[in-house]
Amino acid sequence: MKSISILATTMLLLVGIASAQPTGSATGSAADTGSAAPAAGSAATAPAAVDPVPAAPTSGAIDLRKTCVDAMNSDPTFAASIVETADQAAQKKRDADTLKAHTDADAQIKENSRHVVISYAAMWIIAALFVLFLWRRQQLLKTEIANLRRDLEAAAK
Amino acid sequence: MNKLVVPVFGVLAAVGIAVAVWLVFMQAPLQYGFHPDGALNGSSLFYNQKIFYFHVAHAFMLFAAVFVSGVCSIAFLKTRKPKWDDVAMAATEVAVAFGAVVLVTGSVWAKAAWDVWWNWEPRLTMSLLLWLVLLGYVLVRRFAGPSADRIAAGMAIFGMVGVPFIYKMVGQDSHPAAGREGVVATLGPGMRAAFWISVAAFLCWFVALVVARVQSARAERELRELRERGLDLGVLS
Repeated sequence: MKSISILATTMLLLVGIASAQPTGSATGSAADTGSAAPAAGSAATAPAAVDPVPAAPTSGAIDLRKTCVDAMNSDPTFAASIVETADQAAQKKRDADTLKAHTDADAQIKENSRHVVISYAAMWIIAALFVLFLWRRQQLLKTEIANLRRDLEAAAK
Repeated sequence: MNKLVVPVFGVLAAVGIAVAVWLVFMQAPLQYGFHPDGALNGSSLFYNQKIFYFHVAHAFMLFAAVFVSGVCSIAFLKTRKPKWDDVAMAATEVAVAFGAVVLVTGSVWAKAAWDVWWNWEPRLTMSLLLWLVLLGYVLVRRFAGPSADRIAAGMAIFGMVGVPFIYKMVGQDSHPAAGREGVVATLGPGMRAAFWISVAAFLCWFVALVVARVQSARAERELRELRERGLDLGVLS
């Protein structure tokens, strides 16, 4: 019977929090930071910790939230279970983010073509510089030999 | 020397490299470890493995160039015929270029695969030392005066002696093994063709460069002789 009441109150809490959230706002900020259960008597400040810039809640949402906060304040075990559920959800999200980051990094290392491009570019640049060096030297030698031959032939005459 | 050698080998190299690039990027698989019947028995490779086909081919050409340089230097010291010296000098200068490619592509590959640009393991250190010896050869030829050819020949022989050590100095470092059980000998079917065509293409490229440089060395010799004649005739002062 107690578990049914916990479940029902959790549903109410979640619906209350969901309706109090403005569209696109950060969700579960308290859970994300791993914060502990709200202390008894601090219920009035709890919503501010969940959403620093709350939209103006409707009267229905205020009622639901109040019901949930009262339930949590009256039963510390229930409050702890709510926080634990939120923490678990946040941990799952963190795990998923970490896994995605590792998967992305893995794919980046496996498929990265940047180093291949750098390597091939270096190869062609070195080859081109060497060919240019050879060609230029050959042209200079040809010119110098031709000039010298001409001078020698002129001197021989 | 036949003037067609350079263009013929140049064209062969260009065609070979084009085919090699196509094979490397379009055909060669990114997998290793094959049974003799062709079945895959290994795992996938990273894309940066594509560097292998040109990095190792250049390393082979580096070794070939150093070997040619060393043998021709021995022949030159024994016979004192300038033709051997010309080939040794040409091969060494080409070896410097190929060595630079090996070091740069190897460093980039190391960054991609091991996340370091360089480490001082034996093979890398020996390769760098070999390249510095070759660079020293070029500098000696440029600045050491009348006896430069003999000093440089000695350096070329010294460099040649180091090559087998570099080749065999594997298994102790991050490089994969060489020899009969090594990577090159156990390449899969799709990789083998790409690799050996790449080696053949760069061999043609190597021959074209060496022959072109030998022609240049002969032109330098001719120029020196013409200058001497000019001095004798009083045309030059």
